[in-house]
Order: sequence, then structure tokens, then C-alpha cells
Amino acid sequence: MGLGGTIRGKKTTLRLPAEADLDTYNSWMADMRVRRAHRMWHEPAMPATWKERLTETAKDKTDVLWSIAADSRIVGLAAGRFWSVTQLGFSLRQFVIDPQEWRKGYGFDAALALHRYLFDYIDLPRVGVELRADNVAALRIAERLGYVEYARGHEVHYRDGGYVDETQLFMDKDAWRDRWGATEREYAPLASDATR
Amino acid sequence: MFGPRVEGRNGVALLPSTVEHFKLHPVWEAQPEVGRFWGPRFGDLTEVHQEEHFKKVAADQTQIQWTIAYQEEPVGFTGIFDIDWVRRDGESGIFIGRHDLFGKGIASEAVRLRTDFAWREMRLHRVHNWIALANRGSRRANEKSGYKQMGVYRKSFFRSGEWYDEWLGEAYPHTFPDPR
Repeated sequence: MGLGGTIRGKKTTLRLPAEADLDTYNSWMADMRVRRAHRMWHEPAMPATWKERLTETAKDKTDVLWSIAADSRIVGLAAGRFWSVTQLGFSLRQFVIDPQEWRKGYGFDAALALHRYLFDYIDLPRVGVELRADNVAALRIAERLGYVEYARGHEVHYRDGGYVDETQLFMDKDAWRDRWGATEREYAPLASDATR
Repeated sequence: MFGPRVEGRNGVALLPSTVEHFKLHPVWEAQPEVGRFWGPRFGDLTEVHQEEHFKKVAADQTQIQWTIAYQEEPVGFTGIFDIDWVRRDGESGIFIGRHDLFGKGIASEAVRLRTDFAWREMRLHRVHNWIALANRGSRRANEKSGYKQMGVYRKSFFRSGEWYDEWLGEAYPHTFPDPR
């Protein structure tokens, strides 16, 4: 699996990560605003270490990584894991938007495009995410997409000298269809004579 | 890494695993009697894979694993996995491979020893887990050591014509009831 291909949103595009993105990844992982909001994908490191990480991710059989771009510049990253052959689903493990680009709608746009890919293209029955309970922006995006909470871990994440809870959410294909099925498709319906 | 020997009650002990113990895992996991809440009963079940897996577990600083012994015989394994040493949190798991020994309280004692070790020796803050909601034996074993429900994941897997929900639990030092 490894590196994710192109998924087009309206404002953003999830695209194949490139070595040129790694300095930016590193700067995000070193940014306390990002660290407060998310679980880290990796800790800050030397460029050579980031190259090794990218190589390892590319070889990974279950994990997928995308860079998120807007107006030809990188504005975020998304990473997740497909479950297994006997349990189909996807866990969105990292979803980072550059703090300089917050409040421009990039997060929701990229998240909607990614979920369209997961439900409408890959045909998964279920997607899950775990969020810090005080990450209001991420929770708002999740709720708007159609996620529901199924569990709450208490005192899970440690930062600023204290713990914060974690909310665990899932979204299933029925929720996707109900909320987005009429408007969001990866491809237009096949023409009636397409298989003749 | 592997945990040290921890003596329990009623003939139960946690032992540092050996490669010979690891070679028992696929033999246990392949049986339908233990597969109702465990799966998928296929995969690389070779001894060579188990030797490699043993080395990986031994070198991994984010997990601690033991073999469960009953009357000095290996009967299963347990551990705490994906430990985050900043958050001091990890995910626990247990597997009793000898189905002829189900119902003897072995899992309850192993969970008690593991949980006590997490608080007293590892200074963890929290341990959490997923258990099939219908696996009352395992759920009860964990609840007796202070695990509390934090959620239920509906329709987690489908088996023999039925959906199985999963119970999510979490435990803290202050929820551990062992009076000593």
C-alpha cells in the first residue's frame, strides 16, 4: 500500500508524498500547535531519518500516507491504516493541516475528499478515528462528515502538565450514503451503453 | 521485551517467554475451540515465522509480554502492547490457548498479575483493551482487576450469522482492587 495517489477535493488535493515535502513535515512535527492537537506521526528528525521513514512507509502493507496540497503548495498530510482482509475498514491516524493554513476550510475539504475515496471508491464499510476530546476543529469536521462517538478514554493524552480525554469515533457506509451519497461520487455513473 | 517471572495464586504464574513457548502460539491459534473471539485462523503459522516474531518482541521496547503458566505448563500468553512512555498508556491482551482449561480462573489471575505489574513496576498511568462483548469470561477477568467500560463498538465482526460487538475497557492504578 504505502503512498497514496491523487484524490481531488474542491480546494485541496491529496497527492503522492515526495521527498521535497519532508522538511515541511518536520516543521509541523516540531510545531507545538500541531503537537497539542494531534498524536505525532513521527518526532522531528534529521532529513536522512525522514527519508528513511518515507521509504519504510512506501513499503508498508497496510499504512497509507498522502500529502495535502492547495494552490500548488503543501498544506497538510493524512495517514491511516487499512484493517485486514477479514475486517474491512480504515483508521485515520494522522490528519494535519499547517497551522498557517487553519480556518480556510482545507481540513474539511480534504477530509470529505478522503472519505469519498474510502467509501465511494474503495467501498469500505467503516472508518474510524481517535481524537483528543478538546480538539474542537477536528471534532466539528468529524461530526459534519457523519462520525459518531462509541467510546471515550479518560486521561489518555498528556501535554501541558496534564491529561486530556480521547474520543473514539466511527462512520459507516450508511452514514456516508445518507449524508453524502447524493452529491459526492468519485466518478459519474457509467453510460447506459458503456458495456455494449 | 519480556516480563520477569511473577508468581500468582492457584498454580498460575507469568513467565518470560521462550522461543519454544512462541512455537506453541500457532498451534493454539489454529484451533476452532479458541477462535470464537479470536481470528482469523490463517496466516504465517510456521515455526520460522515464530522465531522471527520472538526476536522482534524481545527487542521491542513498546511492549511487554509473558507466557502464562498453569502448574508450570505454558497455557497462553498475555502482555501490554503499543506502550506510549510519555502518556504511560498501553493496550493489554490475553490469550488462553488450552481450551480444556477454560473456566479455571487462569485468565483472571493472569490479568491480576499483569495489571498489578503495570502499576507497581512499570509505573503506567492507564491500560486499555478491546474484548468481544460476548466473551464474558475475559471481560469478567479484566473487570475483576479494575477495568471499567469506556464504550461499546457495535457490529465489530460477523461470525456464524451474528454480529459481535466489542467492549472497550480502561484501568488505572486507582481502580485496581487488589487488597494484598
